[in-house]
Amino acid sequence: MSSVPGVQADCEELLGAFQEADTVRFERFAELWRERRFHTIFYGRIRALERNKITKKTLELAQQYFLPPYAFQIRVGALYLLYGLYSTQLCQPKQKIRIALKDWPEIQRFQQDLIDSQHYDAAYIFRTLRLARAFLFTAMPKLLNYRTKKKIQENEFKEEFKDPSNRVNSLITNDVLEELMNIHDHYQKMKCVISADKSQPDKALSLIKDDFVVTLKDITLEHHEWQQNRMKLFQNAKETDEIPNRKEEGTLLETEGSERANALARIKYKSYSAVVEVSKSRRHRQVKLESSGSESNHGKSPRRSKKNSGRSQPARRRDSLEIREETVTRHIGMPVITEENSDD
Amino acid sequence: SIDVLIPSDKEEDPDVIPEDSSLLTLQIRKKALERREETIIVDRACRQETLAYEMESHAIGKRPDNPIDLVEEGELLLTLNIFYPVIFQKHKDHKPYQTVLVLGSQKLTELRDSISCVSDLQIGGEFSSQPDQAPEHISKDIYKSAFFYFEGIFYNDKRYPECRDLSRTIIEWSESHDRGYGNLQSVKMEDYTFNDLSLKIGFPYLFCHQGNCEHIIIITDVRLIHHDDCLDRNLYPVLIKKHWLCTRKCFVCKMYTARWVTNKDSLAPEDPCFFCDVCFRMLHYDAEGNKLGEFLAYPYVDPGIFN
Repeated sequence: MSSVPGVQADCEELLGAFQEADTVRFERFAELWRERRFHTIFYGRIRALERNKITKKTLELAQQYFLPPYAFQIRVGALYLLYGLYSTQLCQPKQKIRIALKDWPEIQRFQQDLIDSQHYDAAYIFRTLRLARAFLFTAMPKLLNYRTKKKIQENEFKEEFKDPSNRVNSLITNDVLEELMNIHDHYQKMKCVISADKSQPDKALSLIKDDFVVTLKDITLEHHEWQQNRMKLFQNAKETDEIPNRKEEGTLLETEGSERANALARIKYKSYSAVVEVSKSRRHRQVKLESSGSESNHGKSPRRSKKNSGRSQPARRRDSLEIREETVTRHIGMPVITEENSDD
Repeated sequence: SIDVLIPSDKEEDPDVIPEDSSLLTLQIRKKALERREETIIVDRACRQETLAYEMESHAIGKRPDNPIDLVEEGELLLTLNIFYPVIFQKHKDHKPYQTVLVLGSQKLTELRDSISCVSDLQIGGEFSSQPDQAPEHISKDIYKSAFFYFEGIFYNDKRYPECRDLSRTIIEWSESHDRGYGNLQSVKMEDYTFNDLSLKIGFPYLFCHQGNCEHIIIITDVRLIHHDDCLDRNLYPVLIKKHWLCTRKCFVCKMYTARWVTNKDSLAPEDPCFFCDVCFRMLHYDAEGNKLGEFLAYPYVDPGIFN
């Protein structure tokens, strides 16, 4: 058999209840575990050979929830689940948890996050597992076996457990923003150096918006919030009766991305004197173009069209291109905006 | 701690499924158990299962007497599936194989020595006229050459002077025309350990011996050695899984394993026919040892001999 019947359903049910409980404390998880008497999952008069196989498969299944792209809470729940299954298994000597080499840096990062966010009980549990030598360090996550399957099973893990895929956030990360800021500063300094007046750049050289990094950050934040709101709306529409598993995740528990994003935004606001406060407009469901405010629209399009040429500017400084002024770009760069701004 | 997870208030029997369980797994398992109780009269492990379990776990946790033989931390452990060369109709879906664990620092020759294939034990020749003189030389001693093929390189066994380079034919063939294979090289097997190779997991490689007995080798797992594994270097490569092959019994007594096979035998009801040693002699030779009837007899080694 390629999977133990019913184990996936049971694990998902437990993890769902843990997600419901909306906490990462081990006491809560232990309560849920005790309610279901999960340790009896290995009971039932199984002979030794079979028991080894079943335990191995159960641990493998639980281990999958421990890795990305699952949400933070699910991963902590999976850690507790692994601990529970490993400790309560009946095999002697104990079956181990297989972790692939490529996943180790991710798991170490996860542990560091746990310690940083002071979830010491989870970090302690992880450390206990390490000390008990519960992990096997393998090259591949799954042990291969060679049977032609009658039908290929698609492992459909629950969508709600996954983090909403945040492509914007993963593209515009902190590192990218910091680098952008550095390059921007450097660029400004270069402009100062070559202009007549050493303290500030020539008016003719100002081809980009000075505070585009801040605007970029704001846009990213807004996108993130929009995505969360959309998920909420979507979930509320789907929810018909009181199934506890159906609640949307991540409303109360902020993901780390937005935490860091908020912190960074705060720092930026302090450093830049000209604060560009964008006004939020009505959210729309259109995927094509996001209107997030009048200011940021201006910032967005000229930035797009000018950023590339701005980068190549240092090579050609005394060109005729420098005649172009900021005011002119506003006309050129107007995109096709289909929504209207309500609070203009 | 673990007490939080297991209620230690009452003694629980792991064999009994609790009645009021909310776990789906247990409900399914309970139904299966009930079905088993209805249909099976005696419910215990059959000998194949016992053998399989024994093989899997016999090497776990062993420690050597001599500390030199201790396997070090950081050693790699590879799991290889070595497939049997026979192709039966019933094996179309899954070919039978044996599973071997090897250490990364072991030489290829050690693996070669540990592979037990029935073709190694064959005795060539027809011996109907002189059944007592079946020679003792098995094929393993006569044809010692063998090679492994990993990632475009042939590793030939060159330990004995009579070993030949079997891969030379293949290399010459691939170089004669532009067949689209990159250059294949040929090196000595005894100079290399598994740590020197770069291998793909799940990709079929070849082991060839006796000139034409080919086994497919697939590596299923590479991992670091663990505290609970067998740490005695002398026991590696260790066999942990074998396919159980039924032995052919003698046609006459149906008790002993067959040692002779006859063709074109006028005294036998079918062609080919298998006999154990005693029945073979009783049927085909008279009291003085003269051959009775027309037949061709070959010594037979049953594949199930390794059970």
